[in-house]
Amino acid sequence: MKRAFTRVALVMCYAGWLAAAGPVLADEAKPLKLNTTADHTKFKELQKEFTSGPEVTKVCLTCHTEAAGQIHRTKHWKWEYLNPQTGQTLGKKTVVNNFCISIASNYASCTSCHVGYGWKDASFDFKSEENVDCLVCHDTTGNYRKPPGFAGNPVVKDTEFPPGSGKIIKGINLSKIAQKIGKTSRDTCGACHFNGGGGDGVKHGDMDTSLAAPTKELDVHMDAEGLDFTCGTCHTSSSHDVAGSRYTPTAQDKQGARIRGKADKGNPATCVACHGNGPHKKEARLNQHATKIACQTCHIPTYARGGIPTKMVWDWSTAGKRDAEGKQITLKDAKGHIIYESRKGDFTLAENVKPEYVWFNGQVTYTLITDKIEKSEQRTPINKLGGSPTDGKSMIWPMKVFRGTQPYDPVNKTLVTPHTAGNDDTGYWKNLDWDKAITVGMKDSGHPFSGKIDFIKTEMSWPITHMVAPKEKALGCAECHSKQSRLAGIPGIYIPVRDNNKLLDTIGWSIVFLTLLGVFGHGALRIVSSRKP
Amino acid sequence: MKLTKTLSAAALLSLFAASAIAYDADWKRGRVYYRSVCTSCHAVAPSGAINPSTKTKAEWAAYLKADKHNKGKDTVKQYVSKAYRASIKSGNKAAEKFADTPDQELMDDISAFLTKGAKDGDSPATCS
Amino acid sequence: MSERIYVFKRFERFWHWSQAGLIMFLMLTAFDIHGTYTIFGFEKAVAYHTIAAWSLIGLWVFAIFWHFTTGEWKQYIPTTEKVVAMMNYYLFGIFKDAPHPFRLTQLRKHNPLQRLAYLAIMVFVGPLIWVTGVLYLFYANWAAWGLTAVQLEWVATGHIIGAFLMLAFLIAHVYLTTAGHTPLAHIKAMITGWEEVD
Repeated sequence: MKRAFTRVALVMCYAGWLAAAGPVLADEAKPLKLNTTADHTKFKELQKEFTSGPEVTKVCLTCHTEAAGQIHRTKHWKWEYLNPQTGQTLGKKTVVNNFCISIASNYASCTSCHVGYGWKDASFDFKSEENVDCLVCHDTTGNYRKPPGFAGNPVVKDTEFPPGSGKIIKGINLSKIAQKIGKTSRDTCGACHFNGGGGDGVKHGDMDTSLAAPTKELDVHMDAEGLDFTCGTCHTSSSHDVAGSRYTPTAQDKQGARIRGKADKGNPATCVACHGNGPHKKEARLNQHATKIACQTCHIPTYARGGIPTKMVWDWSTAGKRDAEGKQITLKDAKGHIIYESRKGDFTLAENVKPEYVWFNGQVTYTLITDKIEKSEQRTPINKLGGSPTDGKSMIWPMKVFRGTQPYDPVNKTLVTPHTAGNDDTGYWKNLDWDKAITVGMKDSGHPFSGKIDFIKTEMSWPITHMVAPKEKALGCAECHSKQSRLAGIPGIYIPVRDNNKLLDTIGWSIVFLTLLGVFGHGALRIVSSRKP
Repeated sequence: MKLTKTLSAAALLSLFAASAIAYDADWKRGRVYYRSVCTSCHAVAPSGAINPSTKTKAEWAAYLKADKHNKGKDTVKQYVSKAYRASIKSGNKAAEKFADTPDQELMDDISAFLTKGAKDGDSPATCS
Repeated sequence: MSERIYVFKRFERFWHWSQAGLIMFLMLTAFDIHGTYTIFGFEKAVAYHTIAAWSLIGLWVFAIFWHFTTGEWKQYIPTTEKVVAMMNYYLFGIFKDAPHPFRLTQLRKHNPLQRLAYLAIMVFVGPLIWVTGVLYLFYANWAAWGLTAVQLEWVATGHIIGAFLMLAFLIAHVYLTTAGHTPLAHIKAMITGWEEVD
């Protein structure tokens, strides 16, 4: 009797609890709390005021003991990369481009995008663990910032910069940011990669801040209201090393879709890594196209589609003009985008740009500062792309080709590394004096400079791979199969319509015309002759 | 006796559970909802663009607290409610995606986004 | 006096007219694909052209079966007899209202020039179009079929040559339908099956 009562009571209690807990159960589906097994706001070590980045890193490393060591092995940290195909030593530390040209002597500005703290000159200690910047990739608040000029350090107190300018950089609260640490996101990767080349969308063309929360039209995978891929969904990482590289891109992926358990050394960031090599289910003919044409060629109809223009041309040779009062000039276009700056020269910007197309096999050879180059009518390639229709490794790829005119040493016949950024007597951006800027910059990069300055035309190719449109917006056949083909200049391949043979058409139409002529002549004669009698 | 004990224990437990998992606003979700639901009307035309950075943090807080949309003709809450999301979800992907998100959570998300993007916020945001 | 002969049987007439329709549609889409003009546009024109081509192949399977089971294939055996007379007729006689040198019967329903022309279409233009067309359709399978030496450009060129020849044939063929004893006599025969002969 007593036991039965207890049972009933228990059941009732349980029912009561269920009723009471109803809304609580629903509340349990808190997205953030289920994302992680560690709520960093609860860690006492993080509940304090931090006055510098390394202080935060030291705390991170007390638990994540191997993290800094892992970072030390990556391009993100070293800014140095040995290309096994070409034997060239690359990386931001070494290469010269036709945007801001080079980091040598400009460290404090450029290293605002380094995953470290304090790289202010060539003496930076690459073995330092506490100088690894965890927050720049793992911030979830969107408030972490490393302004240029601070050698990769965040600013924690309101600071006037440049000193005497009256411009205040607001300090950020590292404690709040550290407590909200989480996975990487489009916002974190984008903090640097959207702004490469010195501003939003400047460098890549297929990456800008419009991808922080894009629509489906802009990027079918990153669509914030749909699939919501982060960068890391494709650019997977292992031991903090992120897959995918512009120094050794995968032009052709013959491995097909990656399946768990399958041994695989390939690049997980290719389209094929998920979609396989026969992704067109309705129209099998397109799979045949895909043996020669990179997915990106049809599926990214134009780049810079998010409303943010990308830089197409940069002419350093026109830099240095001053107004009547001797001050630097800035000119803007109708939309408010800068098209001339005294410190940088002329720019051409564009949105919704149709890419240029080339055969590309993934091999990229850079023109380094040690390479001799001849000035000629042809543009000097900053990076030369390997590829041909017959090597069996090439695909037709879309490219943003960025064209520039940049300083050059006509005696030593090399590119040069000017000192641009810096609040000193020699930085070009402040003083507009190439002599001083290049002398100091070349001394820093450790290469000879003759003292003579000329300008040389260069071009740099950027494979287009982001801003993948929904399939309905992929290129139609006639974009290439027409006389105004997008692939007009692509050699070594027969493209129906583009390659119609004029002689054949002439002969063919002549035969048809003569037949018609014969038929009408014969008919006319018959009509005339039938009237005679 | 036992019954009351158990019941009160259960009640306590529920209370504890509810308070332990306080909602942590997700500004990114707020960003998506704001951009595709709010901005769909608050574009340049007809009602004038409203960027997060057009108000200060305090102004946003006051606006959300007053809960007066369209000069008091309706409420802000109404446009965040499940019912409203259900009504527009066929033509609005954000509303569809967050169809089952509790009203208060979504409101907190939007509030977090507006606070962050306010004129004096941590990263003032425009919609362009 | 004229008499009426039943020359074109029901299937034959069905074959002829559906083939005529398909070929004209194939021509229309062909030169759309080729970029001569734009009616459907490349993408749709290719799709329609492919469907029409497969339909014609299907029709041909029935037609070939019919020709062999009925023995009608013999109608296409070439002959040199009266060829010169036929040419003379088309070049001169037709204008003088001279008598037609060929008298058709059920067993010889094509005149010697027709026989030669149809045979040429069937052994040269037809195969050229069909072989290149099928190769075009199965471009993806060339490697699997061991056709590594074949070039797309040659396949395409052959297909285009075939198209021009077919168009020329079509024009001449349509014109010659008016060469009966009345301009519409042949067409009537192809519709009803009955040809009037002198």
